[in-house]
Amino acid sequence: MEWLEIFDISLFRSLIRSATPIALIGFGAAMCSAAGVLNIGLEGKMLNAAFVGVAASYYSGSAMTGFIWGVSAGVLTAILFGVLSFNLGADEVLAGLAINIFALALTRYLLETLFKRRGFFSDPSIQGIDPIEFEFLNGTPFEKILSGFTPSVYLVFLLAFLLYLVYYKTRLGTAIRATGENPEAAKDAGINTLRMKWLVVIFSGVLAGIGGTFLSLETLTLFTEGMSAGKGYIGLVASSFGNNTPLGVFGASLFFGLGDAIGIRLQGVYELDSRLILMIPYALTVVVLILIGIRQRLRVRPVPIIEE
Amino acid sequence: MDKFSFKDVLILITGVIITLGVAWIILTVTGFIPGEIAKLFYEGAVVGQRNIVNTLNIATPYILTSIATVISFRVGMFNIGINGSMYIGGLYAAWAGYKFTSLGHISHVSLALAISIFCGSLWMLLPALLKVYAGVSEIISTIILNFVAVLFVSYMANGPFRADPIAPATPRILETAELKQYFPNSQFNTGFFIAVLVAFLTYFILKKTTFGYELRSGGDGLVGSYPSRYSSYLGIPTDRSAITGMLISGGLGGLAGGIEILGNARYFYQELAFNQGFDGILIAIVGKLEPLGGLIASLFWSALKNGGLFVDYKTDVSREIVVILLSILIFFVSAQKLVSALEKLSFVRKLDSIFSRRIK
Repeated sequence: MEWLEIFDISLFRSLIRSATPIALIGFGAAMCSAAGVLNIGLEGKMLNAAFVGVAASYYSGSAMTGFIWGVSAGVLTAILFGVLSFNLGADEVLAGLAINIFALALTRYLLETLFKRRGFFSDPSIQGIDPIEFEFLNGTPFEKILSGFTPSVYLVFLLAFLLYLVYYKTRLGTAIRATGENPEAAKDAGINTLRMKWLVVIFSGVLAGIGGTFLSLETLTLFTEGMSAGKGYIGLVASSFGNNTPLGVFGASLFFGLGDAIGIRLQGVYELDSRLILMIPYALTVVVLILIGIRQRLRVRPVPIIEE
Repeated sequence: MDKFSFKDVLILITGVIITLGVAWIILTVTGFIPGEIAKLFYEGAVVGQRNIVNTLNIATPYILTSIATVISFRVGMFNIGINGSMYIGGLYAAWAGYKFTSLGHISHVSLALAISIFCGSLWMLLPALLKVYAGVSEIISTIILNFVAVLFVSYMANGPFRADPIAPATPRILETAELKQYFPNSQFNTGFFIAVLVAFLTYFILKKTTFGYELRSGGDGLVGSYPSRYSSYLGIPTDRSAITGMLISGGLGGLAGGIEILGNARYFYQELAFNQGFDGILIAIVGKLEPLGGLIASLFWSALKNGGLFVDYKTDVSREIVVILLSILIFFVSAQKLVSALEKLSFVRKLDSIFSRRIK
């Protein structure tokens, strides 16, 4: 049973690292979906943030500056999405799609124009964000499990908990859900639905920004073309798989992370073709989509009562 | 959707002007002289026989992918996976191109293209069924399948279909499977005529046949949302037309890939990168989701693209500028409120009424 040996601490750590960007995007997507906004553009927000993060870190020599600029880029792209779909009446899907294609081209253009590179950019002067070591855990068994991750990883755990509270225990959470479930009723109850939509879009922009800088400044310190590699979309699927709830999304992201981590480890054990390994997260996503489909088929739909 | 009216043309022109303004700013900020770049663009796109036929050759896959987008959006399905279909269609066209050895030219080409259409179509079956029978968003499933497709073809070109021990590529297709190239200095080939034929055929089918009406009725006016209830009350099977539309759309994506292989590349190799499926979506939107609009927009787009290659080659300006500009144009065109504000301007209405009367 040599395959059992892959289930160890380093598998766990790699799982958590893979799950982090998906969870960040997933939380944002879940909030957007809960408020009735289909936010396809998360991929582009993440990519812009990843690039701007690297560029800012390179020019300033400070990881913190890179992080702040990266997140701002995510938020700016989110504002573009919001202006297009809320203020200018564009179709949300078209706006999101155009933003993703725009971001891919823009980051390539800037990569070639600013750094004279094609494909990727890495440089020793790009400062990455350092992992956090909990010194009080040193020497305990928890050191290997809990210590030494980058900040975003801890943020995900914190967010899963915080968002759960906001979602179910506050007026704001109810207002967001009401906006998505029944906008008319929400308006009658005095909720400014447009403001709620703006709020979740900006919030998802912040998270996509953090997710983007996680890719380019935390796991690695470099930028590659299209480095978000569909994580924006996988995040959307995670949100859908987790029923758009914070804890559900968290669980779904861990599931995706597990698939990713097992794939990476199996490669070491069986020498599988790297392309098949790279395919695992996407294939897993397709499987999850089928599962969502089956779940939706099985769910008993309430018959709407129409009163004349 | 109605035919192009003067208003639509005016909106497009305004969009293009704004986009050019943005281009001017981007180029100036990044340190280039916009006037010179524009001249190079023009030269590279349409000056001289070689550049013209190259532009037409570049247009071929865009025409097909934009028509594929038109069909899927018109049945009410957001098919973003045309690029994946292109990869699959291209791979299996290459396979058919070297596998069948005892065929004549016409039969070999037809068979290879038919296989590419079939495979591209099959690739869209799962998202179509998931959407219609289980309500799973086709947008997400098709996007994810794009990633699967890229890795799948790259695996196949590396493994089962690999011929060359040094480079990861399939064998070269046989001469009988090649689409004819007409000029010694360009890869322009018969595929272009096939694409144009498909555009006119789609126009005819959508506009003039019952089948086309049934296809359209599911999505018209409701692009991206669920098939309209209205048409199912009329007894039109919207579920079936949604699936049919998705399969046709995937098939055309496959055909685009097949033509790229049989006409241009002549074998499938790992580094082969298609992105026409994504750009095709934007082109179809600029063409107002009309087949002939898609055709015209594709020609316009490929002229820009070819000009962009020339600019990229001659100067330090990256060819990506073209895609940036197209997406800005899309931002403008898709901004409904901006468009209706423009329509309300009195001189626009006056011009529109004069123009429409003359057409009648």
